[in-house]
Amino acid sequence: MIRFAVNRAVSAALTLLGVLALVFGLVAAAPGDAAALAARAAGNRAAAVSPEALAAFRHLYGLDRPLAERFVTWVWRAARLDFGRSLVDGQPVSLRVARALPATFALNGAALLLACLIGVPLGIAAARRPGGRLDRISGFVCDAFFATPTFVLGLVLLLVFSGWLRVTPLFADTESGVRGFLLPVATLSLTSLALVARFVRVCVAAALADPAALAGRARGERPSEEVRRALRRSAASFAAMGAVLVPSVVSGSILVERVFSLPGAGGLLAEAVFARDLPTVLALTWCSAIVVVAASLAADLVAAALDPRVAREIEAAVPGVAA
Amino acid sequence: MAVLKKLALLAAAVLLASCGVRGKSQESVVRRRLDGEPKTLNPILTTTDSEQVVLALLERNLLDYDEKLNLVPGLAEEVAASPDHLTYTIRLQKDARWEDGTPVTSRDVVFTLTTLLDPKTPALTRRALFDGFVKAEAVDARTARVVFSTASAGRPDAFNLPLLSAVAWAGGDVATHPRNRSPVANGPYRLGSWEAGRTLTLVRNTQYFGEKAAPEQVIFRVVPETAPAFAALQSSELDEMRLTYAQKKELDARAGAAGAPRVVTFDELSYSYLGWNNRLPIFADRRARRALTMLVDRESIDRNLFGGLAKVANGPLPPAHWAWDASLAPWPYDPKAAEALLDEAGFRKGPDGVRRKGNVRFAFTLSLGMGSDVQRQLVELAQQSFRKAGIEMSIQPLEWAAFASKMDAGECDAWAAALNLDPNPDLAVSWHSAQTPPAGLNSAFYRNSEVDALLDRLKTAFDREETRTLLARVQALIHEDEPVTFLNVPLTKWGLSSRLTNVKTSPIGLFMFWPGAAGWRTGASTRPIS
Repeated sequence: MIRFAVNRAVSAALTLLGVLALVFGLVAAAPGDAAALAARAAGNRAAAVSPEALAAFRHLYGLDRPLAERFVTWVWRAARLDFGRSLVDGQPVSLRVARALPATFALNGAALLLACLIGVPLGIAAARRPGGRLDRISGFVCDAFFATPTFVLGLVLLLVFSGWLRVTPLFADTESGVRGFLLPVATLSLTSLALVARFVRVCVAAALADPAALAGRARGERPSEEVRRALRRSAASFAAMGAVLVPSVVSGSILVERVFSLPGAGGLLAEAVFARDLPTVLALTWCSAIVVVAASLAADLVAAALDPRVAREIEAAVPGVAA
Repeated sequence: MAVLKKLALLAAAVLLASCGVRGKSQESVVRRRLDGEPKTLNPILTTTDSEQVVLALLERNLLDYDEKLNLVPGLAEEVAASPDHLTYTIRLQKDARWEDGTPVTSRDVVFTLTTLLDPKTPALTRRALFDGFVKAEAVDARTARVVFSTASAGRPDAFNLPLLSAVAWAGGDVATHPRNRSPVANGPYRLGSWEAGRTLTLVRNTQYFGEKAAPEQVIFRVVPETAPAFAALQSSELDEMRLTYAQKKELDARAGAAGAPRVVTFDELSYSYLGWNNRLPIFADRRARRALTMLVDRESIDRNLFGGLAKVANGPLPPAHWAWDASLAPWPYDPKAAEALLDEAGFRKGPDGVRRKGNVRFAFTLSLGMGSDVQRQLVELAQQSFRKAGIEMSIQPLEWAAFASKMDAGECDAWAAALNLDPNPDLAVSWHSAQTPPAGLNSAFYRNSEVDALLDRLKTAFDREETRTLLARVQALIHEDEPVTFLNVPLTKWGLSSRLTNVKTSPIGLFMFWPGAAGWRTGASTRPIS
């Protein structure tokens, strides 16, 4: 198990480095130069920009150095948690990211928790009576939420509850405290709820249809005991679902933050990509990749701890992981 | 069950009570919207509108524009040019002070100019105005002298310049200086607090030398999306925002209702256009370019896409500019005449219905930045008209940064864009043949030697009437050549809380002239004894 954990950790680190190299390459190759874009930010003004000022901007942020050198320097510094300075405002990237992350973590964490608190019981209830009224209604509602774009759902909730009914604040600021987070969390969790509920339903329904469950029922096990066993049998699948859910929620939060004027990492990432602010993009990628890779690693470790056959399967499937 | 009911009632009571607190307004506070957070409040490094509208309340310029775009005294009571227009003497206001009570001095002027023109300073938007700068020197505490090697008619606009405090910004790298987020003000407000990503609170500056602002505070709130901002305007959580046409219509429907926001509309120095790369054979002949313009029903577009709140553009200056030539009639919408012009230019319909001249098919790709539905619809309408006339245009929407980069590099066949002009725009940047990419923004690769000569003369035309005459000729020539299709000049639409009074507009908007938003009053504003 320890060897498996070490191998997976090494694999995760390589994945992280690969993701960073890919993002670096993509943003650097994208058309649009950060200096020229900064000059353009004054809103399409037809004013001359001095070439010396552009050169000074590029030199200040090292944009005049070769790409490979810039990447290696960045990785070397990032390993010491020094992410450089933002091309947008000259501030240390770590400061900008540190300011944005708490809101994003709070939003994502609360949304995941809420989605699980509602989705797991809903999925179990639906699985116990497949095709029943609850199964059909919850399936329809969950599918509707899943199919609705996060941006649209957030906007509708905002306009109804904040604009029309005025029971929640329009802006999530410190004045409004927890109330300001109600709608963003609801938006993000409703879109994830469908995934959780449907996944749990399928897993539990399959486990309940398993011959072992039938045998248990024949022995006179109570329904709650059946469900408990079914959940235990599905634990590895739930762990895998968690690994899928985390990136999906993280990406959804970019739009939710924008709709609710939440100054989080999502908004910061979008702004950085549009401005070609590579240091900020890389730092945020570094953070989100760590979360996603850690979630994936945790899922594998949980699955392996619950069922040693899983570890062997993963090792067999990923040659680099095998010792 | 009873417990659940009690809990629900309690929750409802808490929500309603908290809403009551929230809804209480502070009447001497103006709440304004920023669609993005300022990146810096260093006045010489700013690039975005969000930064500039905040700084307009924090810092006076040496000279300010008034609502008619005349340069009027600001921090300087006078900026006097020598007869050869090479030396400018700046005389500062006697009472001008920084927020800490220290006087604004000629040392600040010299420090600002030296910093701005330091090759290491990434000041992207202001440095070009100081082309030919030789030196800046303090004559006495209130007087500074700036010397240039070349005379330029546009030079006075360079002194629409805010200052850096030499004491506050001394030492350290100006690009990353901590003061960039905590500037020292000399204007009617000072920065009270800055909650990153959320709000900036400005409070009245007691040291300000001019007439004190009426509202005690101005709170800027970062609201990137327009829909929540509009909801906030309607619920009085914001006092102002730029409106879309649909939002204006919604407010018009509520006009007269108690507390309903009102709408102001005004002309700005901007226009939209379809750009043609004049280097390409299909756009090289001005008859073909005129034909393209005559195939676009701009009046119908103005009526249907802009609700009548736009004017057809006739050239490179919009009606809000003092030298706009109203006598130039825009090219009419006339598909038959346009087709005749295309025939005359040698582009005749081929067997596939597409016009061609020799081996050159009249087919091209038009690029545009993503984000504006109106622009997209407009381009699609043009595409339909072109198709009927035998012109094949495909549309390529691009992410904005990619689009801007491609357009600025002169790599677009054709493109759709809008242009905002400065109060006294240097038309050479967009139309002089020496300003084609990568040197300048003449992305159409327009060349006309007479226009070049006129633009060169304009650089040293110090007399306003001479400038007007030269600009009239430039407009006429560009109108004749139609290097791009000048589309329309949409009216700017702004929603304002009904409690705001003394709101004035200018061709550069509501904020960037003096007094701009500093002159606003609210129902309960109190003007302090200065």
